[in-house]
Amino acid sequence: QERLFPTVLGFAGSETLPSQPSGHLQPQQPCLLPLLSSGELAGRGRQRGPLSVPKPEEFQISAGFQEMSLGDRGGRRRDFHDLGVNTRQAIEHVRESKTGSSGIMIRLSTNYFRLTSRPQWALYQYHVDYNPQMEARRLRSALLFQHEELIGRTHAFDGTVLFLPKKLGNKVTEVFSRTRNGEDVKITITLTNELPPTSPTCLQFYNIIFRRLLKIMNLQQIGRNYYNPSDPISIPNHRLMVWPGFTTSILQYEKSIMLCTDVSHKVLRSETVLDFMYNLYNQVEEQRFRDVCTKELIGLIVLTKYNNKTYRVDDIDWDANPKCTFIKADGSEISYIDYYKMQYNQEITDLNQPVLVSQPRRRRGSIMPGPAVLIPELCYLTGLTEKMRNDFNMMKDLSVHTRLTPEQRQREVGRLIDYIQKDDSVQRELRDWGLSFDSNLLSFTGRVVQAEKIHQAGRVFDYNPHFADWSKETRGAPLINARPLDNWLLIYTRRNYDVANALLQNLFKVTPSMGIKMNKAIMIEVDDRTEAYLRVLQQNVTSDTNIVFCLLSSSRKDKYDAIKKYLCTDCPIPSQCVIARTLSKPQSIMAIATKIALQMNCKMGGELWSIEIPLKQLMVVGIDCYHDTVSGKRSIAGFVASLNQGMTRWFSRCVLQDRGQELVDGLKACLQTALRDWFKWNKYLPSRVMVYRDGVGDGQLKTLVNYEVPQLLDCLKSVGKDYNPRLSVIVVKKRVNTRFFAQSGGRPQNPPPGTVVDVEVTRPEWYDFFIVSQAVKSGSVAPTHYNVVYDSSGLKPDHVQRLTYKLCHMYYNWSGVIRVPAPCQYAHKLAFLVGQSIHREPNLSLSDRLYYL
Amino acid sequence: MDKNVQEERFMGMIKFTPPLYKQRYQFIKDLVGKYKPKKVADLGCADCTLLWMLKFCSCIEVLAGLDICENVMKEKMHRLSPLPGDYLQPAERSLTVTLHHGSVAHKDPCMLGFDLVTCIELIEHLEESELEKFPEVVFGFMAPTMVVISTPNSEFNPLLPGVTLFRHPDHKFEWNQAEFQSWALNIARCYDYSVEFTGVGPPPTGMEDVGFCTQIGVFVRKYSQTSETAHFEKPTKAAYKTVFKAVYPSLKDEKYLQNAVVSEVIFTAQVIKRSLLDHLKSEHEEYNDGPVEIKSKFQHSKNCVSEDLEKLAVGKSLEPFVNGNAVYVPLTKIFSFPKVNQLCGTFEKLCKLITGKVTLSSDGSGVMVNTEHE
Repeated sequence: QERLFPTVLGFAGSETLPSQPSGHLQPQQPCLLPLLSSGELAGRGRQRGPLSVPKPEEFQISAGFQEMSLGDRGGRRRDFHDLGVNTRQAIEHVRESKTGSSGIMIRLSTNYFRLTSRPQWALYQYHVDYNPQMEARRLRSALLFQHEELIGRTHAFDGTVLFLPKKLGNKVTEVFSRTRNGEDVKITITLTNELPPTSPTCLQFYNIIFRRLLKIMNLQQIGRNYYNPSDPISIPNHRLMVWPGFTTSILQYEKSIMLCTDVSHKVLRSETVLDFMYNLYNQVEEQRFRDVCTKELIGLIVLTKYNNKTYRVDDIDWDANPKCTFIKADGSEISYIDYYKMQYNQEITDLNQPVLVSQPRRRRGSIMPGPAVLIPELCYLTGLTEKMRNDFNMMKDLSVHTRLTPEQRQREVGRLIDYIQKDDSVQRELRDWGLSFDSNLLSFTGRVVQAEKIHQAGRVFDYNPHFADWSKETRGAPLINARPLDNWLLIYTRRNYDVANALLQNLFKVTPSMGIKMNKAIMIEVDDRTEAYLRVLQQNVTSDTNIVFCLLSSSRKDKYDAIKKYLCTDCPIPSQCVIARTLSKPQSIMAIATKIALQMNCKMGGELWSIEIPLKQLMVVGIDCYHDTVSGKRSIAGFVASLNQGMTRWFSRCVLQDRGQELVDGLKACLQTALRDWFKWNKYLPSRVMVYRDGVGDGQLKTLVNYEVPQLLDCLKSVGKDYNPRLSVIVVKKRVNTRFFAQSGGRPQNPPPGTVVDVEVTRPEWYDFFIVSQAVKSGSVAPTHYNVVYDSSGLKPDHVQRLTYKLCHMYYNWSGVIRVPAPCQYAHKLAFLVGQSIHREPNLSLSDRLYYL
Repeated sequence: MDKNVQEERFMGMIKFTPPLYKQRYQFIKDLVGKYKPKKVADLGCADCTLLWMLKFCSCIEVLAGLDICENVMKEKMHRLSPLPGDYLQPAERSLTVTLHHGSVAHKDPCMLGFDLVTCIELIEHLEESELEKFPEVVFGFMAPTMVVISTPNSEFNPLLPGVTLFRHPDHKFEWNQAEFQSWALNIARCYDYSVEFTGVGPPPTGMEDVGFCTQIGVFVRKYSQTSETAHFEKPTKAAYKTVFKAVYPSLKDEKYLQNAVVSEVIFTAQVIKRSLLDHLKSEHEEYNDGPVEIKSKFQHSKNCVSEDLEKLAVGKSLEPFVNGNAVYVPLTKIFSFPKVNQLCGTFEKLCKLITGKVTLSSDGSGVMVNTEHE
């Protein structure tokens, strides 16, 4: 089937795609993270209103607007909001209603503000022609606005397309202007469109207007968000600066157009890349410097001194230096020193520094621009390096400033809206366009579904729903399936001999009540070198070994990686690595030994607890991705699938995908083996498959719906002629800007675990909902967004919500409820282990155990 | 190759590289580089391109723009705002950029006391009445040390393809060299300025008489005048509307200086602490195996020696040392680091700036850095 329509229409046709076994309909996407091609953006023309037939005139909206230089940065923007993916329409049983019913009502407010426009508001789009032709935009502008009494003060004009908040008397208006030369020019203003407030062009328009407001308020744009530079928080210990700011977006939500705004913090560093290099140079040996430096810097975002642009560091060119030359656009050759001196008066003092290379993310028109070369001395670092993220003290120092309680968060968000209401020029701009914002946070009613009961070897436990944690309740209780520790190794360095013994004794204390039979470990002392560890493993691990325990002396990653790699691929035996320091405090060693015992049990194929899962013959799948930013551009997808009714056993595989390869082929193979394994365990195939798909970035939803879902369907079909299971695909998103506040006791608080929201802040074109499943000790809890993009299960929304919440109880590394369904977290753990340490697909003989915990 | 160029010239296809407008801006930039003015105003600043280029010139502390068209100024004015980098490492110099909406035919006290006023391709856009008032406003009222005026040279027009009457439809006139020079000399005489003529866009060889494509007059005031007297003598009501103002963060501002000093002091203290601890650790690893021993030494010093050491420190306060859970880093040591030294200038200034912002020892002679979590 060929695309018969121009892009705009062809895009509309794809709405029904999920139900078609497609794949050949559109060209195959080359990679997991396709950047939107320019054609797709044109498709943004029509998207809104999944439940209504789109108005035909909207088809024409304008390529002109896309190029409008109204935008603060101009050019095309990526669609981060996944507009135009209208999946709900294709899911018959939720077209009328997608709301659940169970639970207790709770009054909530959220960080959304309604955008209101005066009645019968519309945006009028005109095309403006000049006769004789006028080339200069300024002149066209000047000539048009000689007729301000006709057009009005409020307008947006890019030289061709004119937007007005009012309708001119006639569809076609002709006026005459005279240039200062005395030349008469006929200007024809033709109405091309009357855009309703909810049209996509209007939404884009609101966002542009809103960014204007933020600029009027003197906020600085960095990346996608706006920050206030005048009152930074400085953390000099780490040379960090934190700028408070806001993320904002205006979108059509369930019932109205709203502004969603959340507090955002930008971490900047008051040192240049060159400062950073010098510091590092003083810390590491010379021969390791380049390697370490590359590792630290690649993937980081830098901010240039001389203009407000951010770049991602993709490479460091050690052979180049500022004296090197390049060819300018006009064909002349110039050195970097001269260029920066001439263009920005920036002196480069260190002439021996290497240069940074950044590959462009976006194509400009049809041309892919060449890589950008940056001078370390002229670039500031932003954000945190991996090393900083792992620095507990730094993160603690940082979280003091960035982690806001619900009350603080609500206050900060309120301040933005206050500011908008109070600032005269902002108000005037809004009033001129006939727009205004509600001054109060949106409030509505959510539901808190009931807490689950924890089943463990015949006993049933309740937990305090506010803490969402049952570690105390179930301490010392027998496990569902306790694997014996008959034959196991405990490897330690000489210095940690005492710690190893203390651990052993404590394990002897805690395991009996869990039902774990334990023999004394084979204790092996080892030199603190990677090769020594590997030799010990090669000499001592046998096929009878239950598990290998390594007591590491430091958090040096290379040792950990080598051990994991060996024991996950060449010699597939579960392993447990613990840093000795963790066990150094006598008062906490027993609690830690308990956790270790549980974790080891899971790794060996044991089961801890279970909850009631009412659906039968259901296989739950979790998928998450890990993107390796350092070595190559490899992505790894972790795939796990439940093997039994209680969701206590999980099959796992992973897909290693090189640049240019498709993830989806690998996922098909995973699903096939998972079904085969399920059959081995259960002697029948599941009648329902429910996929929780994590790791889908902003703007990638369409690709997922168009390529991945059809492939999953294909895969199920290929199992057998009569096999026709029901499939649900749910996209899980942790990073959302939505926050909910429970209004109880006069103060905004975090909503309790189990809070479900499927009204107001959801999107009309999606079958989506939010769940707050976890409890947090400090800061504001982040809800998780679930978007059911495909569903032939016929299950009621309430059941899907409940099941999702139940699955958040099943992650064995945490005796409590987590943020995402357990399969997603398992998939994440697996992908992370493989991506960080193993770099190969682990041995399949481990695939029925949680060895990656 | 020369032949080709010649041919092009004969056909009247004059092309300037870099483009003429860039050459005009570069002319101003070179002038700024030479005379290092502190206060510069651009009359008829349009989309603020020249101002944007000038904001990178480190001698300039005040930049002002004036234009009759508010919309054109507003279109790109935000590029005159400070960048994140300006906040991350505030510069030594202070810089204020202001944009005014108004006419060069009106006087406004905000334009007093400037070192350089530029009027790039401005006068030819002025109506006759405006042009009449222009000299009195710029040379009589504003009376800056230096004025640069550029305007098209009509004698060059025949060499430009497609130019019939004027180069731009909004031009009210275009002067030849004699017209411009007599106008300029007359002004110079009236207002006690000297003037020199130059230009950008040289004529083709053999046609030198035509003159530069853009003719430029550089006026220098012959009498001296302090900005105070200027303000005092000319009390005038404001005629312009301020549409934009940006104050750049600068170390001249106590707030930014203090932030910078405190940050640098804490960071330097951390560096010293780390090297001290590393040194102690390596020293002890030669004799013992493990951190347990170091800890006991720390303990020891805390219990028995700390008071003595502190007394000692008051006397000497030269080298850092471990004191219980903290490391004492003498301020003198920190002051000896070039960056700190440069920021503060004097030791007294350092002490004054960090008071209350950094944890100091009881006698205030050193910074106490916590060693917990090490």
